[in-house]
Amino acid sequence: MVGIVVVSHSAELARGVVALAGQMAGPEVQIEAAGGGPNGGLGTNEPLVREAIARAQDGQGVAVLADLGSSILTVLLVLEDHEDGNTRLADAPLVEGAVAAAVMASAGGSLDQVLAAAQEARSVGKL
Amino acid sequence: MSASSESPGVEAQATLPEGVDLHARPAANFVRAAMKFSGPVWVGVGDREVDAKSLLSILALGAKGGTQLRLRAEGEQAGAAVTALADCVVNLR
Repeated sequence: MVGIVVVSHSAELARGVVALAGQMAGPEVQIEAAGGGPNGGLGTNEPLVREAIARAQDGQGVAVLADLGSSILTVLLVLEDHEDGNTRLADAPLVEGAVAAAVMASAGGSLDQVLAAAQEARSVGKL
Repeated sequence: MSASSESPGVEAQATLPEGVDLHARPAANFVRAAMKFSGPVWVGVGDREVDAKSLLSILALGAKGGTQLRLRAEGEQAGAAVTALADCVVNLR
């Protein structure tokens, strides 16, 4: 099953998104949080991202959702070492993207389908 | 729940149980049911119809408990798909 990684400047935000997506997707999807900086405050932490991706990867692929700014840059840096294309960043809003991705993963969707579900959040409105 | 067959699509109606909105976990369960079919499937309320495999589109429908949903599918498995989805809807909790 495709795994999900949620990267945020805030550890609390990452954990909260993981909890929300996990409730929608059920227990079978591996959803990992990588939030906060090296000192526990707001920031990004490259080793945390690498570890979260490793935990989420069962061979079916990993979709990474990130909040903004340096989170994106950190993920892209980490992905330079994952050139097989089996770990990819979704260009999508964090909350909606993570929830849509997790549910698509829970339905057995491929990495392409999971990323597409997340990226749909850019065009699908809330009303 | 009723089904009618007309080429090329198949349609059915199903009513959400009272008190069960097509949000959160019920919506996720519905998407998982739709994903079991490879062909296209749609769910509609009133004059709106969205991809039944798109969680975010389904959430945006804002369908409340007691609402009648229109289910539509195309392809070889269309009949089985709308039957399974209608069954899913009436059993959502």
